Amino acid sequence: MLHRLESLESCNFNGMDVAVLQRQAARLEWQQQQNYVVQNNNLVELCASSMPQFQGLIGRNLGSGQMVELKRPEVFLGGDGFQEFMNFPVAGPEFGDSEKLDLVPPEAAADYCISRTSSCQMTALNTSVMKEEREDMIPEKMESPTGSCRESFNKRKPEAVADHKSKNKRIKGEGESEVKTKCSTEISRNSSKENSKASEVQKLDFIHVRARRGQATDSHSLAERARREKISKKMKCLQDLVPGCNKITGKAGMLDEIINYVQSLQRQVEFLSMKIAALNSSVEFNVENLPMKEFPAYVANFPAAAKLPAMAGLPYFQLNPLQKESVNCMLNESMLPPQTATEGIASASVSISEQSLSSSSMTQLQPFPTWNMDPQGLYNMYNMGFH
Amino acid sequence: MRPHSSLKQEFVKKWMAGLQRCSFSNKNMSILERKKAIKLSADVAMASVRNSTTCWSRALISSASKDGSDNHLVEQILGPETESNRPAMANKAQTRRASVCKKIVKRSRRIRRRGRRKCVAAAPAKALTSTIAKHLVRKRTQVLKSLIPGGEFMNEICLIEETLDYITSLRIQVDVMRSLAAGASVRASE
Repeated sequence: MLHRLESLESCNFNGMDVAVLQRQAARLEWQQQQNYVVQNNNLVELCASSMPQFQGLIGRNLGSGQMVELKRPEVFLGGDGFQEFMNFPVAGPEFGDSEKLDLVPPEAAADYCISRTSSCQMTALNTSVMKEEREDMIPEKMESPTGSCRESFNKRKPEAVADHKSKNKRIKGEGESEVKTKCSTEISRNSSKENSKASEVQKLDFIHVRARRGQATDSHSLAERARREKISKKMKCLQDLVPGCNKITGKAGMLDEIINYVQSLQRQVEFLSMKIAALNSSVEFNVENLPMKEFPAYVANFPAAAKLPAMAGLPYFQLNPLQKESVNCMLNESMLPPQTATEGIASASVSISEQSLSSSSMTQLQPFPTWNMDPQGLYNMYNMGFH
Repeated sequence: MRPHSSLKQEFVKKWMAGLQRCSFSNKNMSILERKKAIKLSADVAMASVRNSTTCWSRALISSASKDGSDNHLVEQILGPETESNRPAMANKAQTRRASVCKKIVKRSRRIRRRGRRKCVAAAPAKALTSTIAKHLVRKRTQVLKSLIPGGEFMNEICLIEETLDYITSLRIQVDVMRSLAAGASVRASE
């Protein structure tokens, strides 16, 4: 309603101000948007965007004591609701008025919006037309059948009756219209864009608050559902990733499997780093061309030791003494100089490509069937980076 | 996610750089020290491949740099990227705050549990099984949290996402390391 009044006012001084045209266009657009939104009965998006802005504006307007903002509600509520309206910016989002404006059933709201848009296109308007429109708008509201609307119903009813029937109230209505014209002139005097903007945001806010109130409890369950869905989706991804997890149902079993897998991977890393450390030194041996009599024995030892933890998932620490022993006997003789160490690694990685091409000896070392390292790329990379 | 091979290449590059730095610094290392250095450099390289976009990588780097003995190693490995050390410092304060919060939550939970026990005793068998299942899941989630670096301060969704990421990078790491070890062993046997 407030919004409609505003639009009418803007129509009134259409001729005076060119900027008003732009405003009107914007308003029309907004109305269409609002229409759509109301029809869908889904107000969340629109509201969420405008809420904080609006509150700020309201606060500012009241603080600076602009009468325009206060007069319009007076007009629109016919004096009765004025007090409430005064209250509401202080009360914030939970003001009591929201319920009143809240519960327009979708069809009625749609009609309402259409009538508003049509009124917007009128160029010349006198106060009587405005009154008429207001009158036929109020019954529209009263037709709303929802039970929860009763509260607003009761409040509105006397007003509407007054507008229709009794002479007394009609006089009051005329008074209203007078106020309205005064209001419009005042606005035209000001005719600042900021004002119109403020009122627009204000309008948006009504919708906003209702949506929030309606869905406050629902959002919790919605969020919870979304969260659970997300978790299950991620768990499915994990199921694909972890081998042997496909057959297991139930979260606990899956988590068990995941834990086992992660642990085995970590152990493998641990073990492989040990192996590389050992082999690195042995490569150094090779580079320095030192005599090595115990080396074949070590190599013979090692793969047998290597296969066990990787395959069975046993902790590799059981094998540590064996490794250490065999490694230490080799290491006693030489410590590697740093540069040759990196060379050794690089040359070792070159030999990977040879090996993965022949890959027959690799199969016994790797329990996983997925071996998708491309030898060419690695080889090139090594050449680029380290030689 | 990027394809596996490119991640692998990046990992290898970083790891090699880290190893180079490591081996330049210490001429004489025992096998265990060397193993430690290799593992640390591999871990840090794996984490830095992720570019500190994930929680576990950040936690890994920060925990590696927290240990007194490993600190210099990490600094050497990370070397030029000193800015990655700074978020680790920031993380410390966060973790402290988080631990305080956790304590409070635990305390309140204990109080709540006292009240709940009576309810469980009174509840029918069906509800009891569901609570047992929940308990099992919670226990395993805690184990998983302890396994994944920085997992103590994650919620469930975050934990699962991080686990996914962590497993993929661990696999990459294992693949690369295994191929390296195999290559080295083949070369050694030649």
